[in-house]
Amino acid sequence: MTFAQYVRKNKLRVRWQPWGDVLKLALTVVFCVWFFARGAGELDYNWQWRRVPRYLFSYENGQFTPGPLLLGVLVTLKASALSLVLAFAFGLSAALFRMSRSFAAGLTAKVYVEAIRNTPLLIQIFFTYFVLGPVLGIGRFTSAVLALSLFEGAYASEIIRAGIASIPAGQWEAAHSLGLSSFHTYTRVILPQAMQRVLPPLTSQGVSLIKDSSLISTIAIYDLTMQGQVIVADTFLTFEIWFTVAGVYLMMTGSLSLLAKFLDNRLKGGNAAC
Amino acid sequence: MTGKELGDVIVEAHGICKRFPSGVLALNNFSLTVRSGEVVVVVGPSGAGKSTFLRCLNGLEDVDEGSIVIDGALLDHTKANRQKIRTEVGMVFQAFNLFPHLTVRENIDLAQVLVRRKSRKEATRTTMELLERIGLADKASAYPAQLSGGQQQRAAIARAVAMKPAVMLFDEATSALDPEMVGEVLEVMKGLAKDGMTMLVVTHEMGFAREVGDRVVFMESGRMVEDGPVESFFTAPREERTRVFLSQIL
Repeated sequence: MTFAQYVRKNKLRVRWQPWGDVLKLALTVVFCVWFFARGAGELDYNWQWRRVPRYLFSYENGQFTPGPLLLGVLVTLKASALSLVLAFAFGLSAALFRMSRSFAAGLTAKVYVEAIRNTPLLIQIFFTYFVLGPVLGIGRFTSAVLALSLFEGAYASEIIRAGIASIPAGQWEAAHSLGLSSFHTYTRVILPQAMQRVLPPLTSQGVSLIKDSSLISTIAIYDLTMQGQVIVADTFLTFEIWFTVAGVYLMMTGSLSLLAKFLDNRLKGGNAAC
Repeated sequence: MTGKELGDVIVEAHGICKRFPSGVLALNNFSLTVRSGEVVVVVGPSGAGKSTFLRCLNGLEDVDEGSIVIDGALLDHTKANRQKIRTEVGMVFQAFNLFPHLTVRENIDLAQVLVRRKSRKEATRTTMELLERIGLADKASAYPAQLSGGQQQRAAIARAVAMKPAVMLFDEATSALDPEMVGEVLEVMKGLAKDGMTMLVVTHEMGFAREVGDRVVFMESGRMVEDGPVESFFTAPREERTRVFLSQIL
């Protein structure tokens, strides 16, 4: 029972105090505005927000031209989307390897997860690009996607493993006793239930992935961060550009969270009661 | 129940030993034969190895020694063999174990389609017939969580029966139910017995054992203590230990 239902059922009267709430909100807003205005003033910085939009896009004579930031967004989105899919594949494989009865598979997954989780992503990106890249014959962008997805995949594997382990033994036994193969037991019984449980933590891993993708700028991929860096170097609009860049990241991660929420609701639609 | 026609041997367990990693000897040289159409009720104090025995029969537990033959096929350790034998052994669990992400109909359809290779339409026809029979037709598109315990267990029985197994195992199928729901589940089990289903039933429902069982097996500490026809088991048990047990529960 939710609190609201509890209140209704027991006919508890909670006095709503609108003026108190309005006052609190107003005070908070005033404080925030004052805080930032004061901070910006103290900075002794010449704010030039009007110079920012042209780096996002321009619209002249009915002609839409994306600016460098928007082009960067496209690169970030492409790298993140590809890495997201690959990271899920790596994560799922590693989780299944880890849970398999094969010693070699389990060890491989364990070494992978531990090695990735205990070293900095920045170095992994360098390693992939400078060491693995020439050996595998893959380019800059592919190296970046590979490094990112291997990194996030290691975290995803632990999340997925926990999700699979949280499914009660009775579900396995029921599936087995019906004669289902291991493959069908996983794909039709265990994973659908596990995925529903791990969607929220996987989403926050996806959000991390989008933010971590800013590190691929270090191997000169012109993603959102790299474009921002270039513009700042050219124009010295340090704070305006970086705040804009942060805002765009916020929009991307926010969209992903919303999408996940929508998916979660659809998955839960069926068995809301459990 | 006397004079019931009994057919071929369906379950033949011979000299089974099962030791758990904890060192407990759950089954100690246990043997049992069940013929087609027979309803064998397994009773005994808790920890006697009743559930373990059922779980060995469909390979949910490995036996350390002894052999199990189901409908003419020897249970061994290979995956394919085990999977094949499991399709002939239906199991009903104490905790129902329905798949919560699937509707009742999907629960019952699933293995028919994936294992028995039926078309979805054919499977659903069997499913709906079964649901009709156990009075759950109106719950076909409900999810397990929307059902009462008794309804869930009836659906779980239907899920196992839909595979048309050679034998059905009931592992304390009514123990997790509220008392008022025990009856409806026992009714379904009685119906199955009447239709000639071969059944191995671990239960504490002595009324059910008397009414539906052909044979009663009493086990303790992983051993067979007594195995006899239902009438003489309750009225004239041979073993002293059985007498003590019956006096405690009846």
